[in-house]
Amino acid sequence: MFYREAGQYKTTYAADMAIFPIRQDRYGLALILLIAFVAIPAFGNQFLINTMMIPFLILSLAAIGLNLLTGYTGLLSLGTGAFMGVGAYACYKLETFFPQVNILVWIVVSGFVSALVGVAFGLPSLRIKGFYLAVATLAAQFFLEWCFARVPWLVNYNDSGAIEVPSETLFGLSVTGPTATPVTRYLVVLTIVAAMAWIASNIVHGRIGRMWMAVRDMDIAAELIGIRLLRAKLLAFAVSSFYVGVAGAMMVFLWLGAAEAEAFNIDLSFQILFMIIIGGLGSIVGAFFGATIIHLLPIALRALPAMVGLSIDAARIDQLTFMITGILIIVFLIAEPHGLARLWQTAKQKLRVWPFPY
Amino acid sequence: MSGEILLSVDDVSLSFGGVRAIADVSFDIRKGEVRAIIGPNGAGKTSMLNVVNGFYHPQKGEITYRGRTRARMKPHEAAEQGIARTFQNVALFKGMTTLDNIMTGRSLRMKRNIFWQALRHGPALDEEIKHRRVCEEIIDFLQIEHIRKTPVGALPYGLQKRVELGRALAMEPELLLLDEPMAGMNLEEKEDMSRFIVEANRLRGATIALIEHDMGVVMDLSDRVVVLEYGRKIADGVPDMVKSDQKVIDAYLGAGR
Ligand SMILES: Nc1ncnc2c1ncn2[C@@H]1O[C@H](COP(=O)(O)OP(=O)(O)OP(=O)(O)O)[C@@H](O)[C@H]1O
Ligand SMILES: [Mg+2]
Repeated sequence: MFYREAGQYKTTYAADMAIFPIRQDRYGLALILLIAFVAIPAFGNQFLINTMMIPFLILSLAAIGLNLLTGYTGLLSLGTGAFMGVGAYACYKLETFFPQVNILVWIVVSGFVSALVGVAFGLPSLRIKGFYLAVATLAAQFFLEWCFARVPWLVNYNDSGAIEVPSETLFGLSVTGPTATPVTRYLVVLTIVAAMAWIASNIVHGRIGRMWMAVRDMDIAAELIGIRLLRAKLLAFAVSSFYVGVAGAMMVFLWLGAAEAEAFNIDLSFQILFMIIIGGLGSIVGAFFGATIIHLLPIALRALPAMVGLSIDAARIDQLTFMITGILIIVFLIAEPHGLARLWQTAKQKLRVWPFPY
Repeated sequence: MSGEILLSVDDVSLSFGGVRAIADVSFDIRKGEVRAIIGPNGAGKTSMLNVVNGFYHPQKGEITYRGRTRARMKPHEAAEQGIARTFQNVALFKGMTTLDNIMTGRSLRMKRNIFWQALRHGPALDEEIKHRRVCEEIIDFLQIEHIRKTPVGALPYGLQKRVELGRALAMEPELLLLDEPMAGMNLEEKEDMSRFIVEANRLRGATIALIEHDMGVVMDLSDRVVVLEYGRKIADGVPDMVKSDQKVIDAYLGAGR
């Protein structure tokens, strides 16, 4: 099958404005969804689902969230990890206060809690920009992390200082806690991530997305067009933190099962940031590409030597993956700031005119 | 030409630290006219536009727009009242396509909230299509169909200026401020741009304030001309009168033109 748009004429603006205007793209997406929703649950083993796919999806969602703020609106944040924590702790508190309410409701609500906290920390963004804003988000990271570790109320005065997930059911099926099967948790995560990726894509292709990019590219001109900078930036903080918060809540409730304050430290912030740099700033699919490189590639690298019969010790491999990701980040920062998403676009463009490029 | 007064600038002074950019300048712009603002480099022309759309706040004087004398105004409020603007050194949204840049000009007219936007169906999609149609008309008018989906950062300067005009027109402004829309263009591009300006004025009904260095263009396009030099107004009137004004001739000769 060729990647062509010949013969596919767009006769309405609605068709031209579709997010996947080319038929092959839509087929590709349908295929991916089919694999994700049917093939993986049917044939995937515990390792694929638990260790690879669930974290991959959750990290992708967090990367989408950060990309809305950093890639689309141009506001660099180093506090992603802490905002995931806000979602996780909010979800824990809500769930333990009102255990009778459906857990999915609390996952979404904790997104809103995270959005509120995001707006509060976003308030200085009108006055401070660039480097200084990044430092302010770093302060938020440390402050929130400190709260997670030092405010015992947040963990319901647990001796362990960690949040632990109780078992919860949805339509009679166990979705969280020790009794939930990986496949159920996977399907819940997948549904949420797919829906939220679709929504993010809708938002960035409409008025609000254009407003964010205008603020990113030339804030003075944006203001003279009638865009209120503070509102636009706060909305970006809110929506971004919502996504990141939901990802954080899912991280604890549908992946790890328990977490301490340390799980949401600066390392996590950087991990998500690297994902959007490698995947592509200002791209929704880029978030998935980035999560592939940062989360799935190291797993593949670890499995590779054993598969080809080499025995390299684990520490050596960890160093190796560390170096490879480091090199990738530098390469992308220098050569392709728009990341894998842009390379993918370019490749499609080439394929579209292949084999007669003129 | 003699419509009612749309904008009047009274006795405005603006300084930056010790630098006096505008000194006691008064003039007005009538509805429907093309009003040129000319003067040598550093005369305060751009600063004047920045005062009009609320980007700079003058230390002294008053601005009256549509009969309302305003206190401090923010740039986005100027936009809400129908003032649009292009910039001397193009201020486009570089990472966005031509179409998206022009669509952004419709922001104030698009009302659907984030929840509709999130679905991109029903009212949100209808709204998007409705405004897309308006933008396509502007794209046709400016003959930039071929670069509709090109990121503007990659476009040559002349086309960028055109896209920037398109973005301003998308606001359907009552008052359009153009800061040297033809700077750096060749003759043919200048002719195109002149035509667009005339049509924006006649067909789209925008009142225009035009800063331009090319005297030929100014004399052709404008109904009235105000001349600034070192922040002061030295002449004001119809092109023919301004052209033969001794002070204006001296200012331009003095500036080596
Ligand atoms: N933001 C600013 N800060 C300090 N001085 C400024 C600023 N903007 C303008 N000026 C000064 O004000 C004076 C008028 O500048 P302005 O840009 O308005 O001139 P202009 O008539 O547009 O000139 P040109 O033809 O070169 O565009 C100049 O002396 C300039 O240096
Ligand atoms: Mg100027």
